[in-house]
Amino acid sequence: MIVLDPAHGGVDSGSQISDTTVEKNVTLALAFRLRSLLTARGFSVVMTRDEDAAAVPNAQGSAMTLDDRAGIANHAHAAACLVLHATPSGNGVHLYRSELEASEGQAFVVPWLTAQSPWLAQSQRLEKQMATAFSRAGLALVTSRASVRPIDSLTCPALVVELAPSGDDADSINDTDYQQRVALTIAGAMLFWQNQVQPPARLEAATKEAVGQAAPSDATRTQP
Amino acid sequence: MIQRHQRIVFWCLVVCILGMGVLLAVGRQRGRQRIEALAAGDETPLDAPTAMAETVTLDLANDADGSIAPASRQIALPQEPNARARALIDHLIAEYALPGSAHALPPGAAVAEVFLLPLPLVGYTTDSSTAATKDGGFRPTLPVGQTDPDPVQPKQPGGELAVIDLHSTFVNQHPSGVEVESLTLRSILGTLHANLPQIEQVRFLVDGQARETLAGHADLLRTYPAADTTSGANAANEGQSN
Repeated sequence: MIVLDPAHGGVDSGSQISDTTVEKNVTLALAFRLRSLLTARGFSVVMTRDEDAAAVPNAQGSAMTLDDRAGIANHAHAAACLVLHATPSGNGVHLYRSELEASEGQAFVVPWLTAQSPWLAQSQRLEKQMATAFSRAGLALVTSRASVRPIDSLTCPALVVELAPSGDDADSINDTDYQQRVALTIAGAMLFWQNQVQPPARLEAATKEAVGQAAPSDATRTQP
Repeated sequence: MIQRHQRIVFWCLVVCILGMGVLLAVGRQRGRQRIEALAAGDETPLDAPTAMAETVTLDLANDADGSIAPASRQIALPQEPNARARALIDHLIAEYALPGSAHALPPGAAVAEVFLLPLPLVGYTTDSSTAATKDGGFRPTLPVGQTDPDPVQPKQPGGELAVIDLHSTFVNQHPSGVEVESLTLRSILGTLHANLPQIEQVRFLVDGQARETLAGHADLLRTYPAADTTSGANAANEGQSN
């Protein structure tokens, strides 16, 4: 299972890529390409929105918040969560993982704003694997860390994939060949990643042991 | 033979000329004394006092490769820490507003104010673990700093939280994108860390209010650690985490 989150949508257009292009349309177009390629490779794909304005499930008409998107992703128990963005600055593809500090295990009660912490090691491995794939594909790449909601609240290996123009012309971001090349690279990296990802159920079992050990000291600390 | 009335007119004119000369000399002398009196009582300096220029480190971002590199500048900064932090950020943003900047930002004042607060943040909250008093009184209170874990605890004694209040005019004109927004924040964090090491954590406000993002991407609601954000430091951290 892969979760794709085409950022922005509806009244939130995101950044103005060029006179005729806004970010929300680029992220949705890239998500559709990715969905097709990933589905063809046997993945189940969940998209947080597949139309311009995302709506909250079971609450028609309500605009989707960033926390709603994180909720959809977390319920999917995905092997990877990719938050898709686009920008007119820079070139190629920018990959980001959360800026949170990595934690050893998942607490019994997961803090919403730092839920990504136990998954950061896996997110870093995914970032490296994807960076290698982009380098082999000959695409310009920047890898870094960033605090972009809702990535800090995702309980899966999560990355922000920001698509930048391929050249000096900002409209080159709409080039179908370029988008297809990027999507193919990501889909290929996911194919390798699926054999390495630690299944959430196994990680949860390990976490329970860690929590079991940590619980007495926590209880002691909180006693008056 | 000069007639009598002509002699009278002549001497009258001589007297008038002498009188006017005396009046002129006295008036001039009084004017000079008045100016000297004003100068003696006014202590306003002719030039505003200027601080000595000192070497500071600005962590400058580059959009092309997403890097941050330190750069030394000679800048006169005030001594008061709040004003110093604000001046540092103003100089940093002014650097980005220069033509040909590698991380182009709109010109103009970016920071309304910077507040440095000593950590841990001290305040009081209602102790929800205890019941209200029988007579309907209030529950006892607990110091916030003692019960709250990070992010309000200092790592070192004397650690401070910097609250940076940005102008909405700057934020509204800031370029939108994950990279460009993150670089701006990391550049500010790194510059503060390099020049004011007592700052451990940083929070951002916009016109005195909490705001979700800088320009649609970078989170402004969280508390950021002030740390070395240069690309060299990040590469070292990556190496350690592997």
